[in-house]
Amino acid sequence: MIELKNVSKTYDNLQVLKNFNIKFEDNMITCLFGPSGVGKTTIANIVAKLIAVESGSVISLENAVFSYVFQEPRLLEWYCVYDNIDFVLKDVYAPEKRKIIINNYIDMVELTDYKDYKPRALSGGMAQRVSLARAFAYPSNVLIMDEPFKGLDMKLKQEMISSFKKLFNESKRTVLFITHDIDEAILLSDTIYIIKDRPAEVVKTINKDSYAQIDEIKKELLTF
Amino acid sequence: MKISTIQSKYKKLFIILFWISIWEIFALIINREIYLPSPFATIKSLYELLFIKETYITILYSSYRTICGFLISCIIGITLGYFCGINEFMYDLFNPLISVMRTVPVMSIIIIALMWFKDTDVPIFVAFLMCFPLIWTNTVAGIKNTDIKILQMCKVYNIKKMRIIKSVYLYSALPYIKAGMFSALGIGWKVTSAAEVLSLPKYSIGGFLYDSKVYLEIPDLFAWTIIIVILSFLFEKILKVIFNIGVSHD
Repeated sequence: MIELKNVSKTYDNLQVLKNFNIKFEDNMITCLFGPSGVGKTTIANIVAKLIAVESGSVISLENAVFSYVFQEPRLLEWYCVYDNIDFVLKDVYAPEKRKIIINNYIDMVELTDYKDYKPRALSGGMAQRVSLARAFAYPSNVLIMDEPFKGLDMKLKQEMISSFKKLFNESKRTVLFITHDIDEAILLSDTIYIIKDRPAEVVKTINKDSYAQIDEIKKELLTF
Repeated sequence: MKISTIQSKYKKLFIILFWISIWEIFALIINREIYLPSPFATIKSLYELLFIKETYITILYSSYRTICGFLISCIIGITLGYFCGINEFMYDLFNPLISVMRTVPVMSIIIIALMWFKDTDVPIFVAFLMCFPLIWTNTVAGIKNTDIKILQMCKVYNIKKMRIIKSVYLYSALPYIKAGMFSALGIGWKVTSAAEVLSLPKYSIGGFLYDSKVYLEIPDLFAWTIIIVILSFLFEKILKVIFNIGVSHD
């Protein structure tokens, strides 16, 4: 389990988190749902150890290894699809094993015919799928996804969601999923934390068990 | 051959002929070879130079000096530029020195170098001092412009420092380094010739330029200038080919 206890974070004079508390269960998909600018990415970056907290503590998994699907694909423009995934795996696996893993994940995100293409030749959705394949190919136990479907049209979003589900079922890990799309949150998450205000605060927690009343939840979420 | 290629060739030929005509008109108006030789007189001098063995030895020696100065600038400029790009203290430490190097007149450097080095090394040292700031500045700019988001991704995936240097910083800075190298190569030819004029090493284009001035052989002066321009273009083409080979083998 990953837990943030009484965490505070300020950017310049803007207090984003103040004595903030949250928990992420192992091998579950936990969603941070809320409007833009409430500090969801800050929470994700604290979990990924990309930024330090001012006060409070972060209790992480023992030997936590992270992978991250950012809002934008963050691929190396000078490398092809295959090499972009290879780039993060080079220090982890031997060449032969790497080859099998990379080809497997490229197949899973249905980019087999594009593995020699450079990112600029790919559509936004394809590039984001490479980012997803890279995150799953990396042997992490915590996966952070920060609005990975943002800016994608409906068809691409569905392709990405189906790729994600396929990959997650193959290789389960603790997932922190950030979105401000109600349907994505309900479709993918085991638990939804509704974050509001600044400094950020968890105003409601919704578990999968209550997803049966999907329409009421949607109505409720729309009020946030 | 495509029509557009033929048109482009005719266009280039027209531009060359146009400027040669302008040169010829001015030469006719001035009508004093000592001030402005005609294109015909210059080409005649150039033609004569092509049949002298010493011309080729001179070209080889001057090219060697330019390339030496240029390569030393590249090695030190890129290495130091990299460290100054990633480390603010290193940047603050070297920036004043580079700023001074950028503004010091080339003649001052040549005269100082004449006192420090033997005649054949002066052009190499001067070429280095003139090219190095350009390459350093471009490398620093390229490194500093590396996408912070990519570096953040590397941090998440625990990429080793050496691989970040090779696969991220170097590639990000490459367009800047390339631009710096092309500018430096052009300047390298100019300052090497200038330094040779003052240091007069054996077998140097600068030496021939100096002799042309002393003996008032102005068509020779123009012919050697044309040789420098051609060499500069040629080396620029070679550098382009090297970069293209590098890209295709990547």
